[in-house]
Amino acid sequence: MASITIKGLTKTFAPGDDDAPAAVAGLDLDIKDNQFITLLGPSGCGKTTTLRMIAGYIMPDAGTIHVNGQLVSSPGSVTPPDQRGMGMVFQNYAVWPHKTVYENVVFGLKIRKTPSAQVKKKMDETLALVNLTGLEARYPNELSGGQQQRVAFARSLVVEPEILLLDEPLSNLDAKLREQMRVELKRLQRRTGITFVYVTHDQAEALALSDQIAVLHAGRLQQYGTPQEVYGRPANRVVADFMGLVNLIPAKVAMARDGMGTIEAAGGLRLEVPLPSGINTGDGVEVSIRPENIRLGAAAGGARATISDRTFLGNINEYYASLDSGPTLRVQTHPAQVFTIGDKVAIEIDTTQCSVFRNNP
Amino acid sequence: MSVQVIGTPLRVARPRTRLRLEHFVMGGAILCLIVLVVLPLMSLLIGSLRGEQGISLQNFAEVATGRLYVSALKNSLILGAWTGLFSLIIGVALAWAVSRTDVPGKALIQITASLSYLSPPFLTAIAFVYLFSPNAGLINVLMRDVLGLPWLTFNVFSMTGLVLVTVLHTFPFVYLLASSALLSVDASYEEAAQILGASKLRTAFTVTAPLVAPAILSGTLLAFVNAIALFGSQAIIGLPGRIVTLPTRIYALFDYPPEYGLASAMSLLFVVITVVALYLQRAFLARRSYVTLAGKGARPQLMTLGPARWLVFGLVILVFIVAIVAPYATLIAVSFSKSWGLEFWKGLTLANYKFILFEYNVTQRAILNSLMLATIAATIAVILGAIIGWIDLRTRIPGRKLLDYAALIPLGLPGIVVAVALIQFWLAMPLALYGTLAILLLAYVGRYIPLGVRAANASLRQIDPSLEESAQILGASWLTTMREVTLPLIRPGLFAGWLLVFVPVIQELSASILLFSSSSITLAVAVYNLYETGYIEPVAALAIINMLIIGAAIWIANKLGGGKIASRTGMQRLAT
Repeated sequence: MASITIKGLTKTFAPGDDDAPAAVAGLDLDIKDNQFITLLGPSGCGKTTTLRMIAGYIMPDAGTIHVNGQLVSSPGSVTPPDQRGMGMVFQNYAVWPHKTVYENVVFGLKIRKTPSAQVKKKMDETLALVNLTGLEARYPNELSGGQQQRVAFARSLVVEPEILLLDEPLSNLDAKLREQMRVELKRLQRRTGITFVYVTHDQAEALALSDQIAVLHAGRLQQYGTPQEVYGRPANRVVADFMGLVNLIPAKVAMARDGMGTIEAAGGLRLEVPLPSGINTGDGVEVSIRPENIRLGAAAGGARATISDRTFLGNINEYYASLDSGPTLRVQTHPAQVFTIGDKVAIEIDTTQCSVFRNNP
Repeated sequence: MSVQVIGTPLRVARPRTRLRLEHFVMGGAILCLIVLVVLPLMSLLIGSLRGEQGISLQNFAEVATGRLYVSALKNSLILGAWTGLFSLIIGVALAWAVSRTDVPGKALIQITASLSYLSPPFLTAIAFVYLFSPNAGLINVLMRDVLGLPWLTFNVFSMTGLVLVTVLHTFPFVYLLASSALLSVDASYEEAAQILGASKLRTAFTVTAPLVAPAILSGTLLAFVNAIALFGSQAIIGLPGRIVTLPTRIYALFDYPPEYGLASAMSLLFVVITVVALYLQRAFLARRSYVTLAGKGARPQLMTLGPARWLVFGLVILVFIVAIVAPYATLIAVSFSKSWGLEFWKGLTLANYKFILFEYNVTQRAILNSLMLATIAATIAVILGAIIGWIDLRTRIPGRKLLDYAALIPLGLPGIVVAVALIQFWLAMPLALYGTLAILLLAYVGRYIPLGVRAANASLRQIDPSLEESAQILGASWLTTMREVTLPLIRPGLFAGWLLVFVPVIQELSASILLFSSSSITLAVAVYNLYETGYIEPVAALAIINMLIIGAAIWIANKLGGGKIASRTGMQRLAT
């Protein structure tokens, strides 16, 4: 239904202004029809600024935004938000405190001068969709946080936008409710076919929800890909570091050939790993190994390590295993696999899941 | 269930650069501010530089050396200093009693402060003249002729009298700022000092006092600025005692032939004094921020005064009697007496009210003019304030801070200075505004626009911008967003702001006295003129009517503005 094409989007704010949003630099992004895409990054990475430029609240300094092939934002010329026909759910919900649930939700239909017969049908459908039927006459201060949240969703959905922008909509909910809303959101997007552009700093949320994830850092796009790609094949160490737990270990390329290579790290770690292009024998690199891709064994063979710390997390056991005269690795194992501090273990690494990055000079 | 497109959703429109309604509204507000404040001030400057032979500093030289002018300046500064000092003493004492002791009758203190602030100072002055004028003042007559205690008489037509009458109006500035500061100092600060071994006294001096000192100083400076700007009491009390101050001297310069150049130069001198004082005041207030950080959870410690609390209570009663009971009782008594004097109660009558309301042909016109002007001025000031506040907080227009400052300038302009500036400006314009209701309206709006801006600013800060943005993204135009979201949410704040402008406008004398004509006469001017002409009893009746109108206005605005919306909504929660 709706695609968004972002080219060279740039925005800087005057320094010193305390409430100035984060900058964005040269962002290219192609958002296809009917997708759930997430802008992911730490606070200050420019994800909210990007979202607000898509909505039309902020004018870019450079670059363009096209929606369905039509130019909507460029420096000096911006289609105002009220002419874009998008929907947006705000972090603080922005449910109007002086209007009832019904008045909040019906607002967009009134603006569109929808005939009253259709208003009733749409209102009934939408309120049922978000489980608010029966609460129409309540004021927002008589609702729980989760209910206010659903009012915000209903208000955006009732006008059937082609694009729905969501600015950390789940961040103010408690953990359990957040989990539940996550499932509902995903279902909602599939059912409606609306293009969702979702902003979050929570990588688990991004992985669970998205068709595509755009990882932003310091205003720049680091990687744009499916959750599997972004998690399993991070484009650089920033992405690897941000997407969950990771061991980043300095190493040296012993031999490189045809996209594969052997790297050596301190502690006698020797790994056969896929190498990105442009890395040659003798280069200094960093290898990223996720804790769940390391197995601990009692048997001899491979690199040897000593258990230095242990944390029981319920569904997993997390160990710190120090390689003899080498780095300490974080390892996650099945909770039934138990070692005690001081145990000598053998380390086995699934090298197909490792990523190698060139050292930053 | 699936959501299907059954209507026509808004389609993405092309980008537009053409002007939208909001741009015209914002431009209009900026233009208003320029016409109301900036241009008159500039013509004041130009006027002051215009000598007999072109541009010169001649007027300033005369103001700086002429005996009349130097003594006016000196008297104003003396008045301001003494008033500031006594406002400080009374204000801090009452604030401390309310917030830190177990003194009885705290509500009475609150009422005394509010009523003192709301009472028109020239009415208080007139009431004190009825009591303490050297020859005919009721109490003086009582002391001298009946009790034979001539040494207990008091001549109100003196600097002491002027300070007394002025302090009754200005101590609430110190009281309000000091009590709110004291209330917001969290008890834990003081407890932390005490757990380290500091005595209560030591805690008060080393912890509490430094925390609230900026607020107290700031209140004192406000008292100073307001004290020296009051034309009414300085004319009513000062002139008979031959104490000429800046406002009364400027007023005298408009006697035929009017000395516009000198009046402008004096006005500028006046502005410099108030602006310096206000600058210091803001600087002090800015340092207050750490007090409010403690937030609402503050539980100040209450000092147990023991028997001494009756002494403090006595002081409260004294202030209440002098500031409220004496002036109001006097005005009421005079208004019902046939002839004011020791035996006034023997001839009680309604004749004064009958005369004022139905026979004196000025009254009805004055009441009508004042009500109309106050209503329109308050409405315009609040609307302009809302637009300017909105521009400041919700847009990134370059120069928006400048606009905000421009809207605060009038805080530093005494009423009489506003009048001089408007006369200078509009006499030079082809539009004949002088002597019309319009020029009074310009004066009132210009002078009180800072109150409108502040009220709007405070309300807008309570509303998260996303509440407006969510209406916008749903397709609401700027006007719709304002009507449906912003205005309903800031309405209680705007009503409060409206009242804040309405009350001083309906008792405005300092600017009106230079700008009125017989057709545009206002209530305050009518009272002053009647007083000057010597109608003792009818003046009191008119004064009481004046107070009734102010009271009714406050009551109605409270009814209309009601806290209904604020209490019904979780605005606080959403404003994070």
